[in-house]
Amino acid sequence: MKIVGVAACTVGIAHTYIAQEKMENAGKKAGHEIAIETQGTIGTENELSSQQIQEADIVIMAADVKIAGRERFEGKRIIQVPTEVAVKSPNKLIKKAEEVLKQKQAQ
Amino acid sequence: MNGNSFIQIYFDSDLETKEEVYDFISEVACAQDSCQQKHGIIYQFNEREKAGSPLIAEHVLLPHIESEHVLESRILFFRLANPIRWDETIEDIRLIIAILLKKDEEEAMKKKIAAFTRSLADEGYVDRLLNLEEKKFQKEIIKFREES
Repeated sequence: MKIVGVAACTVGIAHTYIAQEKMENAGKKAGHEIAIETQGTIGTENELSSQQIQEADIVIMAADVKIAGRERFEGKRIIQVPTEVAVKSPNKLIKKAEEVLKQKQAQ
Repeated sequence: MNGNSFIQIYFDSDLETKEEVYDFISEVACAQDSCQQKHGIIYQFNEREKAGSPLIAEHVLLPHIESEHVLESRILFFRLANPIRWDETIEDIRLIIAILLKKDEEEAMKKKIAAFTRSLADEGYVDRLLNLEEKKFQKEIIKFREES
């Protein structure tokens, strides 16, 4: 499965980066291809390319604030959670993404 | 207290409540003895908590703010002498890592702090910070400081 996502928190110095690392680690551990863009106090890092977004099966937005460039994901299946969820339960979040995709494929 | 001004370590800290922790941090953050600044910092920490829990792992809190009241960006480590109850929903806290980010801080410093927060995604690293004895704990922090 190909997953892309964005992490962004209010201060943009802590949860953003922990959420990114945890989601990427959990995604890779589960055997997926995953790339998470961070929108933090430093600005945007690991910016997703339009090709990455286009090829993604699912998008995870772990955010406590409005995401910049949300329109890039229009038409994609999106899971939206607070950063807290990505920080505390990254494996469950990836599992949820798998389930959502299964449901989508079953439709 | 151990550490340089950017990183400060309080091992076996006897702070017992959230109020005591935020009060202590506000004292550290304000070089000038301004009550208004201290109250501003405490207010901002409490506001940040309304936006989301500071709990990042079992027994570990990461309260953090970006503030015009902070004169110098810092990371403060509190390894508590006894586990504390933080509020109605958070208890058994043993490690508090507080980040004070100065408003309009330079990008290099922000990157340094972001590199540190990324390292907190490593459960093994967090586990070591929770359990290592003082000397090894300091070494673990120094290692980060030298790598960053």
